[in-house]
Amino acid sequence: MTPCAEGCWQKNPSLAWREVEGETVIISPDESVMHELNGTASFIWRHVDGHNSAAQIAELLASEYDVTPMAALEDTETLLTELAERRLLVPAESVEKESGTP
Amino acid sequence: MDAQGRATVGGDGTAVLIQDCFSLEIGRIPVALHFSGPELRGAVLARYAAFAQTREGALPIHLDAAPTAAGGPAPSASFQYALGGARLWLNGAAAHFSGVRNEYDLDSLLRILLSWLLLPRQGFLLHAATVLRNGRTCVFTGRSGAGKSTVASLAPRGSVLTDEISLLRREANAWRAHGTPFWGEFRAAGSNGSAPVAGIYVLVKAPENAVRPLPPLDALRALLPNVLFFSSDRAANASLLDLLVGAATQVPCFELRFRRDASFWEVLPA
Repeated sequence: MTPCAEGCWQKNPSLAWREVEGETVIISPDESVMHELNGTASFIWRHVDGHNSAAQIAELLASEYDVTPMAALEDTETLLTELAERRLLVPAESVEKESGTP
Repeated sequence: MDAQGRATVGGDGTAVLIQDCFSLEIGRIPVALHFSGPELRGAVLARYAAFAQTREGALPIHLDAAPTAAGGPAPSASFQYALGGARLWLNGAAAHFSGVRNEYDLDSLLRILLSWLLLPRQGFLLHAATVLRNGRTCVFTGRSGAGKSTVASLAPRGSVLTDEISLLRREANAWRAHGTPFWGEFRAAGSNGSAPVAGIYVLVKAPENAVRPLPPLDALRALLPNVLFFSSDRAANASLLDLLVGAATQVPCFELRFRRDASFWEVLPA
């Protein structure tokens, strides 16, 4: 894959996840921990693919939800940071290719 | 060879034990325990007597009281797990348990192995009591102290398939609960029966009895912490998640708030 110049994130390849009723359930097998994302967070999660930057995801978010571009960017960056702190996301350059589900 | 795997030869008329194994079946998964010595045999026969069953194609499990030799299992093991001084690994068509000092070690390793064997067979182990009711099963799940053994003790005599670890499998597009020999405080040895699942109940102790349906996400949230699964493999966990989403979606799930007496049966759906 082509590394994202703007510091993109990618889903941690060790995770398993599924969308259920519009929300996302993520299992971290190494830690036996379950994480849940609400609808908006699931939208962002869905678009984290190692290619989309935070700004691009925020743009998609603003077009989907009734939110200003600035608020969308702030929400997106906050969530990405939190997911990265929980090791649910890793820098896109650190993995060879997107794997996982669905 | 008889049902317990004793085989004898005796050119000189002397019976010689050449193999000693015990065959059993749990959740329609046949296994054959091969003993390395006589120490465990009596305890195992007593513990799993209700599940004794000889089937073609049973997975051999080789038991060894000694710890794994230096180097451990072969790198080719498709699944392995260490539990204190005990260890299991699965190689090709056989499983190996080492460091099995008593029936409790064996019981723990057997649960771990079963959780792995069940996955491709559309099944999983759940911390839950299972009780037969009107030809179907009610599965009562919850962590330690949630009331599984209490529910089992309040069930009609002979209706408890297990009071601690339930085995659920999707068979022919329908979910079925099986009894297991893994028991809890109720000390029922478990019953090797099975029946379609009528409902999964998430136990909550309360002053009054009440039951409410759980939407799939709530059901999944309640099931996940109570599932026994021991692999950190991503693909296996993804398969497990698929299976649990299926269970949460296809089986009626409820929260059951219950008093510690038999009156809660009255609020369960017929």
